[in-house]
Formats: sequence, C-alpha cells, structure tokens
Amino acid sequence: MPSLAEVGQLVVNGVMAGTILAVPAIGLTAIYAVLRFPNFALASHATIGAFAGYVANAKLGLPLLPSVAMAFVVAGGVGVVSDETVLKRFRPAGYVTTAIASIALTIALENVLRFIFGNELRGYDLPIQRDFRIGAIRVGPQQLDNLAIAGVAMAALFGFLAFTRTGKAMRAVADNPMLAAIKGIDADTIARVVNFVGMGLAGLGGMLIGLDTTIDPLTGFRSILSVFAAAVVGGLGSIPGALVGALTVGVGEELCLLFLSPDYRSAVGFVAILLVLTLRPRGILGQRAF
Amino acid sequence: MPQTPREPRRRFLASAGALALGGLAPALVRAQGEALQLGVLTPLTGAGGFDGPRMAKAMQAVIDEVNGNGGLLGRKIVLVVEDGQTNPEAAVRAARKLIDVTKVPAIMGTWASAVTSAVAPLCWESKTFLTTVSGADSITKLPHQGYLIRTQPNNHLQAGKHAEFIASMGVKRCFMMSIQAPFAQPTQSRATEVLKEKGSQMVGTLIYDKDKTTYRSEVDQALRANPDLIYLNGYAPDVTILLRDLYRAGYGGKRFAQSYAVTTKVLDSLPHEVTEGVITVQPSADVTSPAYELAKKRLGVAEPDSYETQATDWASLVSLAIAKAKTPTGTGIRDSVRSICQGSGQKVYSAVEGLKLLAQGKDINYEGASGPCDFTEIGDITDCKFRYNKVENGKFVLLKVA
Repeated sequence: MPSLAEVGQLVVNGVMAGTILAVPAIGLTAIYAVLRFPNFALASHATIGAFAGYVANAKLGLPLLPSVAMAFVVAGGVGVVSDETVLKRFRPAGYVTTAIASIALTIALENVLRFIFGNELRGYDLPIQRDFRIGAIRVGPQQLDNLAIAGVAMAALFGFLAFTRTGKAMRAVADNPMLAAIKGIDADTIARVVNFVGMGLAGLGGMLIGLDTTIDPLTGFRSILSVFAAAVVGGLGSIPGALVGALTVGVGEELCLLFLSPDYRSAVGFVAILLVLTLRPRGILGQRAF
Repeated sequence: MPQTPREPRRRFLASAGALALGGLAPALVRAQGEALQLGVLTPLTGAGGFDGPRMAKAMQAVIDEVNGNGGLLGRKIVLVVEDGQTNPEAAVRAARKLIDVTKVPAIMGTWASAVTSAVAPLCWESKTFLTTVSGADSITKLPHQGYLIRTQPNNHLQAGKHAEFIASMGVKRCFMMSIQAPFAQPTQSRATEVLKEKGSQMVGTLIYDKDKTTYRSEVDQALRANPDLIYLNGYAPDVTILLRDLYRAGYGGKRFAQSYAVTTKVLDSLPHEVTEGVITVQPSADVTSPAYELAKKRLGVAEPDSYETQATDWASLVSLAIAKAKTPTGTGIRDSVRSICQGSGQKVYSAVEGLKLLAQGKDINYEGASGPCDFTEIGDITDCKFRYNKVENGKFVLLKVA
C-alpha cells in the first residue's frame, strides 16, 4: 500500500511536469483555435526556442530570464516566418494537408538546427541545485523556477486575450471567423499574432524542458506527442483546456506509477485521449477558445 | 541509411578494390592465379563506415605477414574486399558475389546485427564460414551449424562481467534502471544472477520509458530501495536526465553506465559535480596480451581498438584453421577452428607463429589481441576484457582493464 507521502510526491512531480507541458500545449491549442489545424511544426519551434535560449545563456552569457525571453521571441519570429512562407499556402487545401505539411516543416527545421549545432547534447550554463524537502515531499528549486515562469507566461496570455484589443480580436476569429471578418477584423494579422504567440510559447516550453534536461535537435520532437495529448484531452482549441489537459496528463502519468511499471508511463496520456474522446468527444473543457 | 547514388558507389567500389589490389599486387604476381581467396565484408560506408575500413586494414596486415612468411598451404592469400554498406540488402548482394562467384571459404567482418542476420543464412547454407562483431544475442542462436563465430561479447557476457565488477567494488545493494529496449530484461536478469553468486544483491530493477523530460518519480522509486550503486542502463539523452535527477535528489552512492551513454559530450553538457565519480564500461581489446603488442606494431597504431583487434584475430583464426584442416573449405575451418584457439596446445599470439608450430605437427592455442578467443558451442566468446573509466572533474580517468 503506497504511503500518503508517496502519493503526495507523485502529485507534486505531476503538477510540475504538467505545468511545463501546458506552455507548448497552450501554443498548439491557440493556433488550432484560430487557424483550425494541428500545427505539428510546434515540435521544431520548441527546439528552436530551446537553442535560442541556449545561445543567449551559454554563448552570450545572459541570465535565465532574458534567455527565456529570447527563446520566446526567436521561436515566435520563426513561427511567423515559417507560417507566412510555407504553411499559409497549404491552408486552402484543407487541414489534413496543412497538418502533414507542418510535419514536413518540422523535420526540415530540425535538420537546419542539426546542420548549425550538430547532434550532440548541450546543457545551459546554470548550476544544478539540490532539492529541498517540505515535510516528506521533495521539491526542486529549478522546478519551482520553471513553475513560476510557466505560470507568469500563462497569466500574461490570459491577460492578453481578456483585456487587449488584439486578444479580443483573436478570440473573435476563433469563435466565428466569418462574423469576425464582417466586423472588419483582418484574419491575416490575427494569424500572424497567433503564430507569434503560439510558437513563442512553444519556444518557451522547449527551453523549460531543456532547463530540466539537456537539449539536442530532437528535444521538441520527443515531447510533441505528450503536448498533443494534453491539448486533445483538455479540448483542442480551448486555452484553459490545454492547461487542464496538461495537468491531467502530467499527474495521471505520475500516479500510474503506483500500480504500473514506469515503462507504461507514456501509454497513460494516450489512454486518456481514448477515454476522453469516447466519453466527451470535445475534450474536458470543450472547444471554446477562452 | 541514406541511399548513395549508383555512380559514386561504383566509383567508390572501384577505388576501394584498386586500393586493396594495389597493396596485394606483388603477392598476386607471385601467386600466379593460385592464390587462396578469403572474403572480407565490412561496412566501408554507412553507419559502420568508421570501423569497417580499419577492420579491413587490420585483416590485410595479418595476411601480408602470413604471405611474407610463405603463405598458407603453400599458396598466397588474397583478400577480396566487398562493401556491406551497413545495409542488409547491399550486404546480401555482396555476400552472394563472394560465395557464388569468388567461392571464398570464409567471409570476415560483418558489423551491424541486421547485416549479420541477413548474411548468416547464405553462409551456413553454402558452408561458408562467417566471423562477426555484431552483438545481438539472437545471432549465435541462429541455426548456423557452427559456421559462425563472433568475437564481440554478447549481452549475456557483458551483463555478467559488469555484475562481477560491481560486486568486486564491495557494492552490497545494486539497483538497475534500464531504458525500454530489447536488452533491458536480459541484462537485468543476468546481472541479478551474478550479483547473487558474488555475495552482492540486486535490490530492485525498473524499466523506464524513453523520451521523458524528467525521471523524478523513477529516481524516487530507485532511492526507496536504498542502493549503494545504481546501474543506469540507457542511452545518452535519458542517462543525462537521470544523472541530473539523481544529483538533485541528493543521491550520494555510486553510478555505473555504458560508455556510449556517458560520452565526453555528455560530460561537457553537465556540471562537473553532477557527473563526478560516474563509472563507465566498454568492451576492450586485451591490452595486456602479447598479441596486442604485435597488433600495435603490425598496424603502426598506438592503441588499436576493440574492432581492429577483433579483425586481427579473425584473419589469424581463419588462416590457422585452414592450416590445421589442410584444406581451404568452410567446413574445414568450422571443424578445426576450436582446435587451434582453445585447449591445451602451446599458446601462440600471431598467425605466423601458429603456422610454424602447426607445420611441425604441434598443437596450438591462439590467444588473440581482442581476448583469449575461446568459443562456446554456438560461437560466442567465453571471456573478454572490459575497460572501466571513472569521471573525475569532468574527464575520464582509466580505472582498469579487466
């Protein structure tokens, strides 16, 4: 019988893993809400963010927060350019074609990174701190930093969507593109904004993953299925849903260790997708953007 | 593996062939068509492209030495080199050529397990002897009727040796964390068995999923067993995360991993305090053997590696087995190979030395540069050396070769 401390520890680990997963998941779902296709190029943009942060931190010697900002801006910028030059042309052909094109794009971008940086593992120039204990629960300072960064990024996004004119326009396009067009909202501008924000979040998420591990050209690709699972479980297209979905997948994957061997951990996210889609096809929070 | 366009490949083969023949030109002239041809099928391109050419060169060096001392059965030996391309389909075509056209009695040098698995059936069906470095346990379990030997330690031997070393360090409680891979379960079972025999204990094992961003919960599970050594049996990306998570968790015990999981690049990517004291292991040439010294001189290389020494041993074993059988056939090699490399005969460390004694009618026991070259019934080596390194201040320091 597992002890209460053991369960508590798993929940804490799950919340931390889930929060990091939530950042790129929100990016994925935001892009889906507005542009109506699952953009798998998120994987390479997460890696681009991780490498942009690496260059800022390990090469230029910047501290953590400016490096994180760099990850967001560079990945967001590349997101806008790659959408304008590649994916935009595929959109009239339907979402399946665009989604497949996004897979091709992600592999191409990954190989550009491989060409520039090579295949080897790289780590940020940050000390690794020992964990501390609160009662019987072990908590890592790095995880707390990540939690805070993810929390602030998500709060900023919610603020942007709720209170700014552009944010409201984004929600309008997500809710009803035709009505938004009639009201004079320029869909192209909104597409650029959502790509910048969505891929920026992916880049930020990639860097957060890298802070906890090391980075290589496959950093984003390794996590994309879990990110996708989180977004689908929460309701693809729902931004709060992505957060709920990520936490569900994160905590679920950890709690399964109570009765399953760790090699089945990834399966939990996908069993969750099957269950949610069977019982609640639109995801936990449905598909309303906000 | 990327497809190489046809033309460059032909050009490459032509130049590789010219290179091989160039080295042999004097031998060919003297042999005047009576040369004894042996097949070499190493990857000269593809993933094995780094090891293959060096292996071919090591075999050529042994054959040159044998030819310089009167050849074999009164004939000169010629190596016919084909490129396996680290690709089963290309390797099968090359093997067919060696078997059907050149009619070699032996093929030496398959590298990737997938290639060996594809080529081996052609060999045993045509009674051609095959020597390989492929490590997958399944290879020697094929129904090869004795037409195959491998000088690379298989998984079973490696796990047993690692466990012996761990026990010899005075470790009482070992925990093994393995990535989900075909070798995970067999390694855990064998290590558990040997640790118990040596008075140590495997206090727990787990198999983890690859591609996770954190292994905190897995680390917690391992630490609950209170181990004084954790064997991290995975690949570089996941072992890096495990090392970080173990450090964060404040684990102060020993950590042990394969050298391909903790590379110099991994050491560069992690702070020194995280990797301090990690012990790594890899199969090693027998650096203490006189055969190793001879290989060094023959190759003009300061430290021949495991692959070069294994290739040295194949060329020697095949030459000696043919001399013993007195006939250059695959079946002859199969039937006599164990009588020249194991048993109570006089120890020899090179093909030339062995050929002289065989000519005098004496029994020999070839001891190789890669190891003692004693084989089980199914063609696996019974023993081999391993190199153990320890990480100190972000650098590898040799602990021992044993």
